[in-house]
Amino acid sequence: MEPGKRRTKDDTWKAEDLRKHLWAVQSGSPKEDKKHREKKLHKDPEMDFLEYKEHKYRDPDRDARHRERAGERDLYPSKENPYGERDREKHREKRKDTKDREKEKLKEKHREQDAEKSHSRGKDREKEKDRRPRKEEMRQTAAYHNILIREARDRQLLDRADKKIRSGSKVRIEEKERREEDSERVDEDRERRYRERKLQYGDNKDNPLKFWLYKEEDERRHRKPREVDREKKHQEKSSTREKREKHLKEKGNLLTDKEGEERHREKRYRDLDDERHRSHTERKERVSKDEHKKRESKHSREDSSSVRTVTQRQGGEESVEIGKEANDLQNAGPDEISANFEDDFEDYEDDFEVCDGDDDESNYDPDSQEKSEELPLAQKREIQEIQKAINAENERIGELSSKRFPKQSRVECEKQFQADANNSPSRTPVCGIFVDFATASHRQKSRSQALKQKTRSTKLLRLIDLDFSFTFSLLDLPPVNEYDMYIRNFGKKNTKQAYVQYNDDNVERDVQTEDIETREVWTQHPGESALVSGGSRDRDISDAAAVLKIDTPRLSSFLRAACQVVAVLLEEDRLAAKPSWQLTVEDNSLHVSDSSCQLNTDLSFLQNRKVLCLHASQVQRQTVVSVHDLPGKTFSPSLDSRFLLCVWDIWQPSGPQKVLICESKVTCCCFSPFKAFLLFSGTVHGSVVVWDLREDSRIHHYVRLKDCLWTFRTPTFSTDGILTSVNHRSSLQAIEPVATSVYKKQSFVLSPFATQEEMSGLSFHIASLDESGILNMWVVVELPKADIAGSMSDLGLLPGGRIKLVHSSVIQLGNSLHWKDSEFWGPTQTLSVKFLPSDSNHFIVGTDLGLISHGTRQDLRVSPKLFKPQQPGIRPVKVNVIDFSPFGESIFLAGCSDGSIRLHQLTSEWPLAQWDSSTEGSAITSLQWSPTRPAVFLARDAASRVYVWDLLESDLGPVATQLISPDRLVAMTVMGESDKAGGSFLALALARASGTVDIQYLKRQWTIPKADEHSQLHLLLQEGPWNMEHCSRSTRVSPYT
Amino acid sequence: MASRPSFTVGASLSLGDGAPEAEKNAGESENTYILRPIFQQRFRPSVVKDCIHTVLKEELTYAEYSPEEMPQLTKRLSETVKDKLKDMGFDRYKMVVQVLIGEQRGEGVFMAARCFWDADTDNYIHDVFMNDSLFCVVAAFGCFYY
Repeated sequence: MEPGKRRTKDDTWKAEDLRKHLWAVQSGSPKEDKKHREKKLHKDPEMDFLEYKEHKYRDPDRDARHRERAGERDLYPSKENPYGERDREKHREKRKDTKDREKEKLKEKHREQDAEKSHSRGKDREKEKDRRPRKEEMRQTAAYHNILIREARDRQLLDRADKKIRSGSKVRIEEKERREEDSERVDEDRERRYRERKLQYGDNKDNPLKFWLYKEEDERRHRKPREVDREKKHQEKSSTREKREKHLKEKGNLLTDKEGEERHREKRYRDLDDERHRSHTERKERVSKDEHKKRESKHSREDSSSVRTVTQRQGGEESVEIGKEANDLQNAGPDEISANFEDDFEDYEDDFEVCDGDDDESNYDPDSQEKSEELPLAQKREIQEIQKAINAENERIGELSSKRFPKQSRVECEKQFQADANNSPSRTPVCGIFVDFATASHRQKSRSQALKQKTRSTKLLRLIDLDFSFTFSLLDLPPVNEYDMYIRNFGKKNTKQAYVQYNDDNVERDVQTEDIETREVWTQHPGESALVSGGSRDRDISDAAAVLKIDTPRLSSFLRAACQVVAVLLEEDRLAAKPSWQLTVEDNSLHVSDSSCQLNTDLSFLQNRKVLCLHASQVQRQTVVSVHDLPGKTFSPSLDSRFLLCVWDIWQPSGPQKVLICESKVTCCCFSPFKAFLLFSGTVHGSVVVWDLREDSRIHHYVRLKDCLWTFRTPTFSTDGILTSVNHRSSLQAIEPVATSVYKKQSFVLSPFATQEEMSGLSFHIASLDESGILNMWVVVELPKADIAGSMSDLGLLPGGRIKLVHSSVIQLGNSLHWKDSEFWGPTQTLSVKFLPSDSNHFIVGTDLGLISHGTRQDLRVSPKLFKPQQPGIRPVKVNVIDFSPFGESIFLAGCSDGSIRLHQLTSEWPLAQWDSSTEGSAITSLQWSPTRPAVFLARDAASRVYVWDLLESDLGPVATQLISPDRLVAMTVMGESDKAGGSFLALALARASGTVDIQYLKRQWTIPKADEHSQLHLLLQEGPWNMEHCSRSTRVSPYT
Repeated sequence: MASRPSFTVGASLSLGDGAPEAEKNAGESENTYILRPIFQQRFRPSVVKDCIHTVLKEELTYAEYSPEEMPQLTKRLSETVKDKLKDMGFDRYKMVVQVLIGEQRGEGVFMAARCFWDADTDNYIHDVFMNDSLFCVVAAFGCFYY
């Protein structure tokens, strides 16, 4: 403890002592003093209530005053403003004096009670001391809280005291000062309250709860409700006492360092308060303490208290002391001073309340003035004296303080005076003392109630949790934008807004408003070039063009095929439109035919060429080949010396499919038997020539004729000049394909090679017959690979050609045909050869002796070696044509140069029938069975007549005869197809002398086979009338033989 | 708006009665406070909301905003709601009803409340009513009086 500090405290208490002395002097009776004090300490229950009520009502006022003091403290940390405080002291003192006198009697009643209570209180205190260590913290805060309350109460008292003093003494100056204080208080009122609250809740959250609860328990234990207030004070004291002990040690340092620090000030303040209380209690209990510090304080306290309580023994001395203390007050902190004063006044608080509860300005009453006047004059005088003394003292202090802190104090003084000046008028009427018991009791009640609530709240606050849990959003109304506002108002006039949406459930805006992006792409399967897909973008197109790969051969082949198809279609169309025109205008059709068409032989290279022969394919019935002679006029040097063959499709009469050239004159020709892709022909020079129609046209000779480019195919293979040992030396008379169907039948299942040959369509031989009776058999061989450069071994093969003929065997028919009685005629000529369709080993050969020789390839013996005409003997009659029936009957027709037609059976030497006079003697040049009807055959004679025979209709002669004139018929062939039900046709290809070739479609009666025609024909052949005729003839002829 | 005691617009308070008197028997009597409300008497926001809603519907459905009438209207509404709530038997509850009426003019409004209280016992509910010309926010706070 620093001496300064200690001294300050001492001084403070001396100041208090001073006041006591003053009272003592004024009242003249120390007993009264004591009474008052005691009464304050041991309040009656009623008083308690009153106090609380008042407390409640006066809150603002009290707070204001309290705060003022706090503000002052702030302004003058160490010490300042002696004026206000001291003035107030005076007022209070004076007021108390006056009041005391009035209420002497009242208080005397309570004195005895108080004495009793003091004992019980002492016990309580002891108990509390035990608990102190535990609850030290709580008490600290609680104590502070109480202090605040009490201070407030004190201030209230002060206020009242002021008024009374005013009324009593009517000292205007003092009033002014007081008013100035008030004004300041009002200003700082709120701030102070706020601070209080903060301290209560903010700084010590938990402690108040515990404290209050504890306190209540305590109260209950004592069962003395009226002591509540007192208890509080005790607790306060006890709790703060320890704290003070702790802080007092620090205080020295703190004060020296910074006296202005609020926290310390508060503590100090509390300490002082505490100490004072403790001194009271100690004094009563007579408990001595060892501590030096305490002792000092106790000493001073005891001094003061002794003054109050016991006697006036120190009367004279103390008066001296007052002076000293007054001097010392300068050093003492203002807090302490004020606190002490307050405490003292508090003691009298209750008295005032009881006596003059209502002394508000509003309740200003003239009575109070009167009352104050009632006071004894002597007392008044005394009071005035004291006041003067105090004023003087104040002035002194003011001077000193202004010296010390000239600036601060001056400023403060100025402020105060200004405030005084402002406020004085309003304050002047406040004076007088009015004792209103009803209001006072009411106030008391309300105060006690407030206390109750407070305790209740503190107890509860311990148990419950208050928090700012959430911030509730009550309303969140977003600002409406302009458009919405417009729309909102828009609808309010006569219009109404509605919306309609297409695609009702589809509310997405995008779907409806945006265009769908499209893009074209293409792709190709299978992807043959590098680019197999592309898009609509320009770049892609250009790329495609750049990458495009042209496969020329493939394209040309495709175009060729396509052209052919298109051409066929066009021709057919043309043909369909033509017949009527042809029939009427050109009159080309014959009466035996329904319609006709003409092959276009007007081509430049066919002009002036006669047709030598016609031949129709056996398998591809619409294919026909015409052999053209050398032109009568020169046309083109390259073609003039060559013979032409034209392969036609009768459905495409506008032009030949293929044009073939041959060096020598073609006498006969035939197609390959299964597929008509090979054309064989025999020449007058004895050579066999083969054309492979599948060959690429590029390896052949091109001739540009007019606008068209024609390909003239040279023979793929020719036996000309090779194989001279076996080759024909004379003109070829016939060339026939020999189907290996027999072999096929035998080895159909066994031989895999046969199937392969069949597949390639090459399972056949070629038989060529020349005039001298040599029958050569040729094997057609297809080379696996074409050699463009030409073959060294295969002479006669066209470079690039794949088909060649290999000589198989040779059959000398001269021997078999040589018979004795024919010597006269020289060597026998063989004119035609036919192979048996059912057995290709057998063949028949027509001779110029009217006989038909029957032979086999294996030189086997056959039963009828010769087929003889009905006329016995050998006559120079050429058997020009022979034709086997295509319908499986082993019968054949033979046309002879004498105009006779013989129908032979293979098993019989003699003919089944012989018609000698059907052509009136002209030679038969063509004779062919109809491919559609078994009983029909067609014949042509040298007189350019065509005969149609139908054996079922007439077995005596042709059913129809057609003379072709004036354009003579030079060649004829029969073509027809019966496979298709509706498409069967029978046509005659007629070559005229003018070089034209026309196709005559025969009438339906000869085209459509009759029902059961096979059996009828068979029956006819078995039992026909020809036998009779044969017999008769034989008999008739017999004389010759 | 914060904490218990501050209310501005058309607020009306009702205080549960009797509790302090009971305790006045000083040291002799036991404490009479309860820490939790009886379940049946607990502040039930849904019920309160219904109550408020019906009141608002009755009063405001065809109401037009007029600055002169609104102060009376808010007071009346708050009194009505408060009275109704008092009848609903929330014993020991202090009811605070606040009514705010504003004009609908497209301005944005944000209104929030913050309460320093015991969330276990105390509760609040609010209801917003709007028509073309005005919006009305009614907030009812129930603070338990232990």
